[in-house]
Amino acid sequence: MKKIIYNIISAACLTLPMVSCSDFLEIKPQNEIIMEDFWSEKADVDNIVAGCYAALESDAAIRRMMMWGEFRSENVMAGPDCEKDGNLQNVFKENITPKNFYTTWDVFYNVINRCNTVIKYAPEVAQRDPAYSTSELNATLAEVTALRALCYFYLIRTFRDVPYTTEAYTDDDQEMQLAATPFYTVLDNLIADLERVKSSAIARYPETQPLYQTGRITQDAINAMLCEMYLWKKDYQSCINYADLVINSKKAQAEEKKQKTGRTTQSSELRLKGYPLVNNMRSTSSFGSAFEEIFVTGNSQETIFELMFDNTNAGTTMLSNSACGQWYGNSQADGRVAASNTVVEDAALTNSRTVFDDKNKKLDARIYENFTTGGNVCKFVYRTLSINTSGSDPEASYSTIFRYNYAKINNVDTWYTSSNWIIYRLSDIMLLKAEALAQLMRDGATDEDVAYNTPYRNQAFELVNVVNQRSICKSTLGDDDTLKLTDYSTKAAMEELVLRERQRELMFEGKRWYDLVRRSLRDGNTKTLCQIVGRRDGPNSQLAQNFFGNKSLWNWAIFWPYNYEELTVNKNLAPNPAYGDGNTGNIE
Amino acid sequence: MKILKSIILTMALLLTTAVSAQTITSVHGTVSDDMGPLMGATVVEIDGNGRIIESALTDLNGNFTMKVRNQKDKIRFSYVGLKTVTFPINKSTYNLKLESATQLKEVVIKSKKRAQGNGLPIPEKEISYASQTLSMKEFEGLGLTSVDEALQGRIAGLDIVSGGDLGKGSTMRLRGVSSLSSLTDSNPLIVVDGNIREVNLDNFDMAGANDEKFAELLNINPEDIASITVKKDAAATAIYGSQGGNGVIELTTKRGVRGKPKLTYSLKLTGTYQPKGYEMLNGDDYTMLMKEAYFNPAQNDEAASQFNIPEINYLGNEFSEWRQYRANTDWRDAVTQWGLRQNHYITVSGGGEKASFRIGGGFDHETGTMIEQKLNRFSTRVALDYNISERIRVSTNFALTYTKNKMNYDDLLAIALKKMPNMSIYEKDPLTGEDTDVYYNMLQSGNYIGSEAFKEDQRKYVNPVASAHLAKKDRRTYDMSPELILNYKLLGMDEDHWQLNWRGSVYMNIFNQYDDSFYPQELTTTNYEGGVNTSYTGSSKSVSFNTKQTLTLIPAFTNKDHSMMVLGRFELTSGSSSSQGTSGTGLPSTNLAITSPAAGGLISSVTSGYNQWRSMYYTLSAHYAYKERYIIDATVRADGTTKFGPNNRWGYFPSVSLRWNVIEEPFMKWAKPVLNMLSIRPSWGQVGRQPNQNYLYTSKYGYSDRYIDMSSMAPLNIRLTDLKWEITTSYNVGIDLAFLDDRLTLTLEGYRSTTTDMLMANYRVPSNTGYATIPYRNTGKMRNIGWEFHINTNKLIKAGKFYMDLNANFGNNKNELLEMDEYILDGLNSKFGYNNGEWLRRVQLHNPLGAIYGFKYKGVYQYNYNTFVDMTDEQRRDFLASGKTAPVAMNADGSLILDATGAPKRMVYDYTNDGTGKNYNFNGGDAMYEDLNHDGQINALDITYLGSSLPKLTGGFGFTFTYGDWRLATQFTYRVGNKILNMARLNAEAMTGNDNQSQAVNYRWRKEGDVTSIPRAMHNFSNGPIAYNSLVSDRFVEDGSYLRMSYAQLNYTFKKKQLKWIGLSRIAIYASINNPFVITKYSGVDPDIVNAGYDPAIDNAQTPRSRSYTLGLTVDF
Repeated sequence: MKKIIYNIISAACLTLPMVSCSDFLEIKPQNEIIMEDFWSEKADVDNIVAGCYAALESDAAIRRMMMWGEFRSENVMAGPDCEKDGNLQNVFKENITPKNFYTTWDVFYNVINRCNTVIKYAPEVAQRDPAYSTSELNATLAEVTALRALCYFYLIRTFRDVPYTTEAYTDDDQEMQLAATPFYTVLDNLIADLERVKSSAIARYPETQPLYQTGRITQDAINAMLCEMYLWKKDYQSCINYADLVINSKKAQAEEKKQKTGRTTQSSELRLKGYPLVNNMRSTSSFGSAFEEIFVTGNSQETIFELMFDNTNAGTTMLSNSACGQWYGNSQADGRVAASNTVVEDAALTNSRTVFDDKNKKLDARIYENFTTGGNVCKFVYRTLSINTSGSDPEASYSTIFRYNYAKINNVDTWYTSSNWIIYRLSDIMLLKAEALAQLMRDGATDEDVAYNTPYRNQAFELVNVVNQRSICKSTLGDDDTLKLTDYSTKAAMEELVLRERQRELMFEGKRWYDLVRRSLRDGNTKTLCQIVGRRDGPNSQLAQNFFGNKSLWNWAIFWPYNYEELTVNKNLAPNPAYGDGNTGNIE
Repeated sequence: MKILKSIILTMALLLTTAVSAQTITSVHGTVSDDMGPLMGATVVEIDGNGRIIESALTDLNGNFTMKVRNQKDKIRFSYVGLKTVTFPINKSTYNLKLESATQLKEVVIKSKKRAQGNGLPIPEKEISYASQTLSMKEFEGLGLTSVDEALQGRIAGLDIVSGGDLGKGSTMRLRGVSSLSSLTDSNPLIVVDGNIREVNLDNFDMAGANDEKFAELLNINPEDIASITVKKDAAATAIYGSQGGNGVIELTTKRGVRGKPKLTYSLKLTGTYQPKGYEMLNGDDYTMLMKEAYFNPAQNDEAASQFNIPEINYLGNEFSEWRQYRANTDWRDAVTQWGLRQNHYITVSGGGEKASFRIGGGFDHETGTMIEQKLNRFSTRVALDYNISERIRVSTNFALTYTKNKMNYDDLLAIALKKMPNMSIYEKDPLTGEDTDVYYNMLQSGNYIGSEAFKEDQRKYVNPVASAHLAKKDRRTYDMSPELILNYKLLGMDEDHWQLNWRGSVYMNIFNQYDDSFYPQELTTTNYEGGVNTSYTGSSKSVSFNTKQTLTLIPAFTNKDHSMMVLGRFELTSGSSSSQGTSGTGLPSTNLAITSPAAGGLISSVTSGYNQWRSMYYTLSAHYAYKERYIIDATVRADGTTKFGPNNRWGYFPSVSLRWNVIEEPFMKWAKPVLNMLSIRPSWGQVGRQPNQNYLYTSKYGYSDRYIDMSSMAPLNIRLTDLKWEITTSYNVGIDLAFLDDRLTLTLEGYRSTTTDMLMANYRVPSNTGYATIPYRNTGKMRNIGWEFHINTNKLIKAGKFYMDLNANFGNNKNELLEMDEYILDGLNSKFGYNNGEWLRRVQLHNPLGAIYGFKYKGVYQYNYNTFVDMTDEQRRDFLASGKTAPVAMNADGSLILDATGAPKRMVYDYTNDGTGKNYNFNGGDAMYEDLNHDGQINALDITYLGSSLPKLTGGFGFTFTYGDWRLATQFTYRVGNKILNMARLNAEAMTGNDNQSQAVNYRWRKEGDVTSIPRAMHNFSNGPIAYNSLVSDRFVEDGSYLRMSYAQLNYTFKKKQLKWIGLSRIAIYASINNPFVITKYSGVDPDIVNAGYDPAIDNAQTPRSRSYTLGLTVDF
């Protein structure tokens, strides 16, 4: 009997090997890296950080940066091939519904999630990998925090209130249906994040990696973002402070470089008043070198942060810029997006201009840098530009290599360019500072007001004037060629000047619509915006003005609608009231 | 016997306690019977477990002497024909007389037929779940080649669709489809002797793997199978937990039986051929058709020459290849043949008290119905049982199958049906015009001199005869499954004692596969860029290990009204597979002698894979019966799997089933003479399904695009922490009836099963997570409702030497989608692209799956539009009144729609203002579709429901007639009320490309006024006009009802006395026909097509079931 009992016990032992259950059922893939094995050393973190940039410059992201920030403005209209993209057409017709494909935002949240993942796991890596120092960890955290802030900044400028999370999504049981966080709450969070990390970010990358200085987040980039964010927040003094940090840093860098190379300041650079902008003058009668340095070669000295694309024509080592290639044009086809008749005609006319109206008329190099007389977008597309001023009027020529090459990938013609996409450059910051200075001015015209305004006015004017003078195609500037301070004595005039200068300087760089939205939020009305939208080619301007002029909903109408699918799957996301949820299809 | 034995044993035990003290080291004595001393009687000492410790034989005088090892053991005396007796060892001298066994008084032993299989040995009358068992005795002597053939038409609710390809298995659906996921498999689970074959090669595509898994059935020789049980409801499959979600087919193989060794040899000779299907055009008709097809769109005689197609114009010397294009080749005939199959099988079985064995070995040689297909298979199966003692039995099984399959590299039949018939198989001699021995292929693009018209199709079709002979695609597989089983009766050994039995087994499955293929340059017809003389060599290995530990407790109640059994089982599975492959191109080609990629060409790719799986199961199952009248069974199973994350790793699947044997009630006594069974069986159970993919719950990191000079990576997915088991809850009610001592048995089953938490792909999530979709999610709900009925008889009609039996079954299943995430649903539904031959998939809530949608076909427009326009109003009225047709739009009331100028509006296809639609103007000879909404155009809004592919009734029936030594067995299967979308016919009648068409197109519309149902030939030019004559419409939706004779077989067994002179004990010979005819209205080659998942049943011209004739012989030595 004992034996039998023993047998039962031993059988039971065989039957119930509970101990190793959970281990036994744990298996790992042998040909893929999984999270549990991944975050172990600094190289892993670096790889994901690079992945954040790669996602940020993916085709979908660049398209949205181009479109969200500009395509609803009067700068652009439908190009020759546009009918192939109904969603794009509808944007130009100001007929944007929640079902429009370009209202999808997943690419930005993809970057945000990658950043959040790094923020979550990098500290663990620092504990595991002794070679990963605390300062390196902090620099990484600053870098991805800044990238995340940039993505959210794009999102709130486009959609106003957006779902905001700093959680890394790794599991399907996490809370996914997030309600939208209000614009200013998100903005405050972003500012707080950046204020926190700004000092630990890398100021200067090693000289062995010159492309990192402009292609990755630096302290300058964070300061530039803070500068713009404070401007949106209407904290003008902070905006100015951060703009100064950026400007001074760029000045110092330029000075350092000058000393190293032994180059002296050329007389043609004197008009830049010591601001390290790229000189546009090739010779006394030839201009356009700034265009090539900034938009063709890339990583110019005035760049603060730009997304870098492959400059081999096959797109072999990294991504190529297919978004600019298709929308702005390439060597095989005109772009689906063209410079609008409004700006092209404005440039061509001699009188009653609205964009290029400030003094220098046809001498403004940006007329040629931005678009051709036929309306093709020139920035990011043309490879060479030379503006000849030996004749009576300047003449632009685009020599031999007409546009960027395209690549054949897998035997399919893919229209790529290698243009870098610029997010911040110095002239942008200078003009942001000018905008803030103008806001510090008073409206009145009493002597007291004038006395109060003068320092701000002078500073603002100088910034605008430097940017403007850089683009004047004349070797020696006469009094009639440049802007005159006396023309812009009031706050309103200065504000208008800055807005126009920004339009001229940053055309097609995805900034114009955001400028108008910021203006509307500041004014508390859409008067300026409606006026400008009224000049657009394409949409029924009366309808559009009514839409934006709506007294109760204008502050939603100037933003984009949430995507229909997003609204359907996220029950906590309320539709943008100016657009509805996409089921009715009506625009109020 | 048992009772007597135990009485003796008990007495012996009592005696042991009475007498003691004395030490006995050896015993001696005499054994005799009525006739005197016995020589050779066995004397053994056995221990408490019944194990033999010591033994001796009696000598001439019946004397024996034996050493005793342990006094506590017992001594046993036995002799053939005499009663065995056992005594305690309490004395040293035993003189006894054995009684004759035959003289014992009769003891009535109640033996119950019990369920065989993997669960509890429940008496048949107490089975409370839904199952159906086929004893292979029924098929004995039948020339079945595979198990699925035996099952076909025999199991109610089991739908089997067999493919016609050599070595390929069948698709089976038990009680409809209850899962829609791409992550799960819908075939029922195959269990052989309690073991599940786990072969998991990750370089297999899933569809192919299913075929392979089912071809496993072929690897078991039908001769080895003792019985097949199909378990249908959740209560029946409960002991298989998540593995049995689609039903279970349990196979039990034969084992050795006690008796003198028996040698059986069986031989089957089978001839097979493929049913023909559509007659295709010959060369003359084809060239005529092509000329029309090129003429019609352009309405221009120059069209054919414009495209410069010398191949169809019977040119003379100006076209250097002219001799090759004037044949009337029947390509299908050239690639098909009579297939021959020979199956040899030998079994030896036998055994004694201690051991029994069964050894089987077979060799099959088969040539396919397509030329150059060859299959050789060697299989062996060994079953050994050894009784170490009465308590302990060791069994071992070993099965091995080696298959060498020479396959066709290309799908010959598909090519043969498309290939232009005016081309010759062999190159013609330029001088004599006779065939040479070189296969003819269209010339390469480089120096091609013919037309560009065939560039994209005919030139890409390899000469199928050449491909069959020159290309190589071989597959060798080794499949081994050894098993070791130990049975240990821990407590009592009969029903009067509490029994606790332990069964432990270890099972392994080893599967190796080797693939070799070679494609010589002679067959490369398009260009050399992709490489010539390509070759591939690859191998895959899969090893799995399984162990099961089972404890069964059978209490012995003093009150015999109660009976009970409890089973507890632990099971563990672990396995891995790996594969590698190498492809090479540009091999040196010397008469096909060098075919390995290592031979010096360019290695174009090297692949490898690795896969691993593990699982763990606990089962607890109990059975209780009161007075054999009220029965309850309950099972709970816990499944642990690697497929889910730690939270949902374990699934628990309970089931309960009840049975009320009404017939056993006292008030039913009156019915007993006629009715011997009436019972009601309700059951409820839950089963789960797990995905067939591993690592879904892990977060993977992969490479991303580089940035500047930094390599980059990114998290690729959200891990599916929440992913859990797909659960099917089902109810079943069964009624069993049996009449006249089981001469007629009837079973009726009704069921309802609801699948929830379906594992669906591409679930949309808010993208603020960083991801737009997560790969899989539990969502959706679907339901299957159905009923089944089956009848079996046992010598139903008896008249002297004549018996007749029949079996019949039918069933119906209805499914309905109840809930589904709208994005997943949206993703499943296709959007209409307005193309010819494009069918729409519509999956809608509260609708059954498998619905067919398309246009309504009304025939062919007889007259051109212009002819109609040129008529006067009067003529138009007469024209329409006489039933003539022209492509003009009509209002709902049948009046013409006129435009602003008063001209009738022309019927158009997919008209849009901005020109983005197809905007095709119909004309005479075009297909006429019904304009359902009378908007003057045919577009997506005119698409309507055309029928369901779900059959109203499926089933089968069969008759068996026996007269003395003669037996005739027949079996039929049928399906009623289902629709099939015949894409094979659509493609064979489309007349839009250069492919050969069926002879039906000879009746096409050719000139105005023709009354026909086949539209005109309109070639679809890639950048020219495209006609829409072959849109999916009810023209191609056909009734798929059929009645098939599965087999008929005549069998004769020679009487033993006739064979005595040659020393054989049995010869059976038989002749059978398989699949001799199908009665159906369906025009395609075989109506055996069912819908797969949510798609309708579509005939894509798959290889039909072949017809075969078999002659067989079985000899027992």
